[in-house]
Amino acid sequence: MTPEIEVRDLNFYYAGNVHILKNINMTVYKNKVTALIGPSGCGKTTLLRCFNRMHDLYAGNKYDGEIIFQGKNILSKDTDLIELRSKIGMVFQKPTPFPMTIFENIAYGLKLRGIKNRKELKEKVEKALKDAALWDEVKDKLNTNAFGLSGGQQQRLCIARALAVEPEIILFDEPTSALDPISTAKIEELIISLKDRVTIIIVTHNMQQAARISDWTGFMMLGELIEYDKTGKIFTVPSNKLTEEYITGRFG
Amino acid sequence: MIMRKRKILSSVALFVCFLTALWGIFWLFFIIIDVLRHGITAINPALFLNDPAPPGELGGGLRNAFVGHFLITICATLIGVPVGVLGGTFLAEYGRKYKISKIISTLADIMVSVPAIIVGAFVYAILVKPLGHFSGWAGAVALAIIMIPTVLRTTENMLSLIPWTLREAAFALGAPYYKVIIQVVYRGAATGILTGIILAIARVTGEAAPLLFTAFNNTFFSTNMNEPIASLTVTIFQYAMGPYEDWHAQAWGASLMITVFILFATITGRILIKRRYKD
Repeated sequence: MTPEIEVRDLNFYYAGNVHILKNINMTVYKNKVTALIGPSGCGKTTLLRCFNRMHDLYAGNKYDGEIIFQGKNILSKDTDLIELRSKIGMVFQKPTPFPMTIFENIAYGLKLRGIKNRKELKEKVEKALKDAALWDEVKDKLNTNAFGLSGGQQQRLCIARALAVEPEIILFDEPTSALDPISTAKIEELIISLKDRVTIIIVTHNMQQAARISDWTGFMMLGELIEYDKTGKIFTVPSNKLTEEYITGRFG
Repeated sequence: MIMRKRKILSSVALFVCFLTALWGIFWLFFIIIDVLRHGITAINPALFLNDPAPPGELGGGLRNAFVGHFLITICATLIGVPVGVLGGTFLAEYGRKYKISKIISTLADIMVSVPAIIVGAFVYAILVKPLGHFSGWAGAVALAIIMIPTVLRTTENMLSLIPWTLREAAFALGAPYYKVIIQVVYRGAATGILTGIILAIARVTGEAAPLLFTAFNNTFFSTNMNEPIASLTVTIFQYAMGPYEDWHAQAWGASLMITVFILFATITGRILIKRRYKD
């Protein structure tokens, strides 16, 4: 197991000095699925959004500590956020197709990287859609508006869009909480199949989902990482009492 | 018993609402039909192709006013729309964290209801007086000042309707902010912004007061924006006040053309808005 990301003594404050994340330490392993679980408001999404510095979009947020990725602390001031976000992609809770055609949606990130060649774009778009298991459903309507797709298809489109630029890591923020069970199953299958190409960090409300798809699980509560271990261990013999109570449904 | 009373009250209220709506619609149609009835007889090729004949002589047209009005409106749009759209973009995007943005928004709201004649007097003071003469440009600036707050607020509102997650999704792909705005946010808000622009143009097309002080009028055909230039609205004002039957007829004709244009533009705008909310 090769480490991909090292989080060291991470503290995070929202504007107004609200202390959200407290002394987080964890290692995310390459080509594994890492799930973050915990009750609402525990900070799991906040932690996820530290990895691509999404918090920088809003004034007054403050990071403390280190997140080491490819030998560098991505929290340092001189990190090129555009470059960082091209290596660490993200898929959101609600599907976020851009107001353009299906093709243009996937090509958007590629064009940002300066790929202009029509043939190359076509090949990469097709590959991304195939990787996201969406190609067969949309190959005849690539030039129609992406809003015409169903919710589950839109979410897979967003995954394809993130995949197209060949990132090292993809962050998933409760990607199936707005979807029906069949679409959810498809996305879960997809996430597992993507493991050999990208490292995945997923925030989920759904403990069964974490148990089904992840290799490592972190249980968070009130801004602290209570326990972080292999998924099999967390769900069978957790070493912390709080973790046990949470996964057995005693609260949360 | 109570139910019965409520039912009666409800029908009374409904009836009053119905009457007031009818009252409004009655006058709207009265005006449109009257303009149509008087105007339609004045519509002939000469109205568009000829310049005004000397007072008292028959056969003149309003070519100068149609062309002048078109020029002033185009120039006003070219000045007002970029300022309004970019200003609205600043308020909704880059400026959303500054307090001054809120103040500007509120001021723009107040500006929307400033009487047009005051804008005319203002432009008279800053452009006409210092330069020493009326000009088409002064008229265009006056109309642009009327357009800017409307376009600015519509743009701001339409951009705010685009969910933040959409911007975040674009940022998450590594897009810089200006590309997020131009390629993603504008695309989503395009119909709404366009509608705001159309409605703003429709509004200034019917203005006479601000042009009286600025573009003034010109009985001759002119496309020189540095000189006084004719407009339909000011011409309607002068012709309607004038003593000649022929002038009155032409004023009706011009009124009809403006009414039709505004109606057309407004309806197009509304249809676009409806489409936007359906998507």
